[in-house]
Amino acid sequence: MNIDLSIVGPAFVTGLVVLASHVPLGRRVLERGIVFLDLAVAQLAATGAVAVHLLDIEKEWAVQLGALAAALLGAFALYGCERRWPRFQEALIGATFVVSASLVMLLLAGSPHGGEHLQDVLAGQLLWVTWEQIALAAAASAGVLILWRTLRDRLGAGLFYGLFAVAVTVSVQLVGVYLVFASLILPALVATRRGLAVGYLAGAVGYAVGLAVSALLDLPAGPSAVCGLAVASAAFGVGVRAR
Amino acid sequence: MTRLLIALTLVLAAPFAQATVRVFTCEPEWEALARELGGDRVEVYAATTAQQDPHRIQARPSLIAQLRQADLLVCTGADLEAGWLPVLLRQARNPTVQPGQPGHFLAADSVRLLEVPTTLDRAEGDVHPQGNPHIQVDPRRIATVAAALGRRLAEIDAANAAVFGARTDDFLKRWRAAIARWERQAASLRGKRFVVQHAEWVYLFDWLGIQTAGAIEPKPGLPPAAGHLAALKAQLASRRADGIVRSPLGDPKAVEWLAAETGLPVIELPQTVGATADAGSLFALFDAILGRLSDGRR
Repeated sequence: MNIDLSIVGPAFVTGLVVLASHVPLGRRVLERGIVFLDLAVAQLAATGAVAVHLLDIEKEWAVQLGALAAALLGAFALYGCERRWPRFQEALIGATFVVSASLVMLLLAGSPHGGEHLQDVLAGQLLWVTWEQIALAAAASAGVLILWRTLRDRLGAGLFYGLFAVAVTVSVQLVGVYLVFASLILPALVATRRGLAVGYLAGAVGYAVGLAVSALLDLPAGPSAVCGLAVASAAFGVGVRAR
Repeated sequence: MTRLLIALTLVLAAPFAQATVRVFTCEPEWEALARELGGDRVEVYAATTAQQDPHRIQARPSLIAQLRQADLLVCTGADLEAGWLPVLLRQARNPTVQPGQPGHFLAADSVRLLEVPTTLDRAEGDVHPQGNPHIQVDPRRIATVAAALGRRLAEIDAANAAVFGARTDDFLKRWRAAIARWERQAASLRGKRFVVQHAEWVYLFDWLGIQTAGAIEPKPGLPPAAGHLAALKAQLASRRADGIVRSPLGDPKAVEWLAAETGLPVIELPQTVGATADAGSLFALFDAILGRLSDGRR
């Protein structure tokens, strides 16, 4: 099996688009100590999508709106919690994740459809991404980055939670929950020690190595990329001692 | 000069060399069938193994690469692969195997499906709105699919049409003889009642005259609710079943629980070729199914 660029190429570009917004957001996440926020937000987006489906609304834009609305509502609720009970923030985030995951199952148990395919609505699979989806995601990433750079000093934490919800809702549908988490946290760990540029580099190398291995050994692309990010971040992160 | 002549001959003879039809199958049962009907005139690739649930798969690079080169796609259809086949077809961008082309063969199109929802009421809808797609456990339907697949192979590769025709006729002759033998063997199973884990044995039971005494997990992926299990247990107390049937894919915990509560024997059946060690071919699959049902073996 050789590396067919037409198959893993779009996957690599998707990874770069996701990294563009996720590395700077990830650094903030690490600073604030709310590492599992993306799992909670991604799961809330899934709950929103399922709820829209259960109202018998099949239109794609309505599903996206439902997912985004749920993610934003949840993100801002968690922002409110951070202001009132900062010591419990990590616990509240974890609780949000498991409760909303369970809610999805309860909602689907009552549905005659069983939601067999809905479980995968926000699973995302890297190899299935189309160029149209990449273009839309790139636009969203650019929007998030621009707003973040220009407005963050004025709007602070509220803006962070809002942009975070948008970024994660878009990316989780492309690459799945685990790869969103890995893209958010692993290169950010490198960036914290060695700066943003090295963080981006570690992310890009991680995706490249992971996808190359998946092509050579015919393994699932998403999990391979996660492992690639881990290896690359370890290599870049511990290469030079922090001064 | 001699070398040049030899090279020229080889180049000119190349188009007349034996070409193979590249077949991309979604499930192991169709891989086995394609090999039976095609022999050495086909190269077959299976997207899933017998150990995987065909409802969903993990995307691997070879899936796209293989579908891109395929001349013929053979899948079950009836929305069984609806979770991944449409995106895969789109990513592969192979015009030969797109829906509507001769290179796109869905087994379910050739046979009559069971459990087709008759009402448009969404409350009656279930996981498979076109009907139950698990047709591979009824050998009569496999025969119908085999005849259609043999014709399609001949249509795609007209040069080898005679070969495919002969192989299909030979397969059908052996298969029909085997069906007669299996029906004699299974005569004692008629009228028996089994609990199933998932709704994947409908066609097998339809063939053998077996009744479904209840389903443990009617919705794949969602654990059964307590009320449903209690109702099932009560139902079995009032009208006994002859056993619980499961495939190697299902979660054993729910089945073991019901077996402990009711004392019913658990029978594991291969749901496709290769699912168990004794189901290595299409013929062996039904030998194994009938053997295990008759013995009441685990």
